[in-house]
Amino acid sequence: MGGNFPALLVQLQADLPSLISALGETVLLSVIITINGLIGGLLVFYLTLSNSGVVRKIINGYISIFIGTPLIVFLFLLYYGLPTIGIRLSPFVIAVFGFFLNVSAYNARFLVTAYKGLLPTELEAAKAQGFSRGQIFRLVTAPQVLRLAAPALASQAIQNTKDSSIVFLIQYTEFFAGMQEIAMRSFLFFETYFVTALVYLLLVSVIVLAMRRLERRFTIPGLS
Amino acid sequence: MSFAQILQSLVAGLGYTVLVTLLCAATALVVALAIIAARRLGGKAAGNALDALVYVLRGIPVLVLLFMVFFGLPALGLDIPPLAAMMLSLGAVSGAYLSEIFRGSLQAVSQAEILAAQASGFTPFQSFRLIELPQMIRLSVPGMVNELTSVMKYSPFAYTVGIPEITKQAMALTSTTMQSLQIYTAVGLLYFGLYRAILLAVAYVERHFAIPGFAEE
Amino acid sequence: MALLEVRNLVKTFGTKTVLDGVTFDLEEGQTKVIMGPSGCGKSTLLRCLNRLEEPTSGSVRFDGKEMTAPTADVRALRQLIGFVFQNFALYRHLTVLDNVTLALRQLKKMPAALAEERALHELARMDMAEKRDAYPASLSGGQSQRVAIARALAMEPRVLFFDEPTSALDPVMAREVVTLINRLYLENVTILCVTHDLYLAQYISDSIIFLDQGKVRAEDKAENLLSGHADPVIASFFGRKS
Repeated sequence: MGGNFPALLVQLQADLPSLISALGETVLLSVIITINGLIGGLLVFYLTLSNSGVVRKIINGYISIFIGTPLIVFLFLLYYGLPTIGIRLSPFVIAVFGFFLNVSAYNARFLVTAYKGLLPTELEAAKAQGFSRGQIFRLVTAPQVLRLAAPALASQAIQNTKDSSIVFLIQYTEFFAGMQEIAMRSFLFFETYFVTALVYLLLVSVIVLAMRRLERRFTIPGLS
Repeated sequence: MSFAQILQSLVAGLGYTVLVTLLCAATALVVALAIIAARRLGGKAAGNALDALVYVLRGIPVLVLLFMVFFGLPALGLDIPPLAAMMLSLGAVSGAYLSEIFRGSLQAVSQAEILAAQASGFTPFQSFRLIELPQMIRLSVPGMVNELTSVMKYSPFAYTVGIPEITKQAMALTSTTMQSLQIYTAVGLLYFGLYRAILLAVAYVERHFAIPGFAEE
Repeated sequence: MALLEVRNLVKTFGTKTVLDGVTFDLEEGQTKVIMGPSGCGKSTLLRCLNRLEEPTSGSVRFDGKEMTAPTADVRALRQLIGFVFQNFALYRHLTVLDNVTLALRQLKKMPAALAEERALHELARMDMAEKRDAYPASLSGGQSQRVAIARALAMEPRVLFFDEPTSALDPVMAREVVTLINRLYLENVTILCVTHDLYLAQYISDSIIFLDQGKVRAEDKAENLLSGHADPVIASFFGRKS
């Protein structure tokens, strides 16, 4: 490979403090998105079980819209659209809010799919024991559905980390934006993006390893 | 500018969005089939190498890979046209995901049928092509739809390399009209329409290729 | 006053009448078995009694309280009715012990140590105490059903409902479970049991309710129903069976 990596190394060393803080932003954003997305996903999933047909229709419409449109378009809508009606939000708020709605829709769909793997008599047994709807959700449905959906939820967490790179398109300075700046200044485009890719690969690998540990800890025979 | 006019000017980019989506999806299909065939017919070393390739492709953000291909490779003296850059990034990444979907489906193909094919004197490649592949594809339909949708939703990245698709049109419009809210709402609607169209098309195709008693829920 | 008084219970699904005016009593300490041809409404009857299905009309009085009244605290009443399902319905994400303690802790608000003690007592009664830390997936059908019975008993219910408790089991395991139900019968636990198991019906019941096309066709002691009954439908049902 004809790259000039030593030159890039010098550049990276010079910018190390700001790069580390940019990487911190990426990690922070990924963690926030993932946690919010899990909470939101559970909430949306709970609403899909509603007795009210109207609520179910609205929720399914919401899920379908966010699964059917690009996240970046929604982020642009918030970033470029809202100021025209006098609402100015910081890129960070837009990123967190946009990803929250998007990831919640995906996670809810994973949970809905997993819900189909539950045994109806098990839920009925809980009902027969005298548990309320809320208790059944908290004590039986949620713990089982989260385990059944774990692989999908885990790959969504990985997706979140990678997708967080798109917020640089709304001028939020996370890791990719930081590296982008270095590429512009040094003209070492290939080398910079190559290293960028490596760093994301590393982040993803950390998540993969963490998930394996979690899996070992939480797996129950007969529930996967 | 009325909403209808906005939609009209955006539709000019629809063709490119569809083109980018289809080209990348086609690339993904070729990449995935190549990976799965090499896995099935190659040895253990080939399998390990492919595992690594798939892992890497699934671990890199599409946007980063796109920039590496489109802005990075020319610096090494390798010029890549925009569409090709999309295929080499989004298409390749999607291919890696698709190959995992295929792998899952392939495991669901009955061993007895593969054994029967061997017993009838088929070569491994014939068995793969005639027995395993057709079943694998049918079992993979839901996963393929998800992947196609996913490609469509990453297609706006094409604007960053100058392809005049929907999002690029929207950016041009916003710079002249100040109606960003309406414009990006219209953009969202167009993509959503495309998404519904994909679902309809798949349902149509599925009806025509369905085999009674196979993969029915 | 009987513990359970069922009067004129009707259940329709669309145009299909599944229960057509069912009436019977269950006294404290009694064991009754409900039998009848497939599709006679046996399981629906049981599920209407604790309102897992909503009865279309009629009344169910349990312990003097109207179960079907709009104001009825159905969940409180359900806690007094132990329900054992055909397919065990153990919570797959919980260990054997947690399956039994869950309702004690969450519904009876029992301290964990006390709940555990109670649960282990009931598990021991069902010879399942040594499997306390196992997950349901690793249990055989017979073992699962024994845990399910322990789970029901732990709540100290006023009555136990069994819905085909042996149908999903092979003959050897079914025998195991029947033996344990017999033990409860001898201890005068109040039991209402839907079953196809002739042995259960014959030896572990004070009387049999014969249900046919949604109606109680006869209610009598086992020995009177099982051999040469005057009613040709009942005679042929048991004739075919034995």
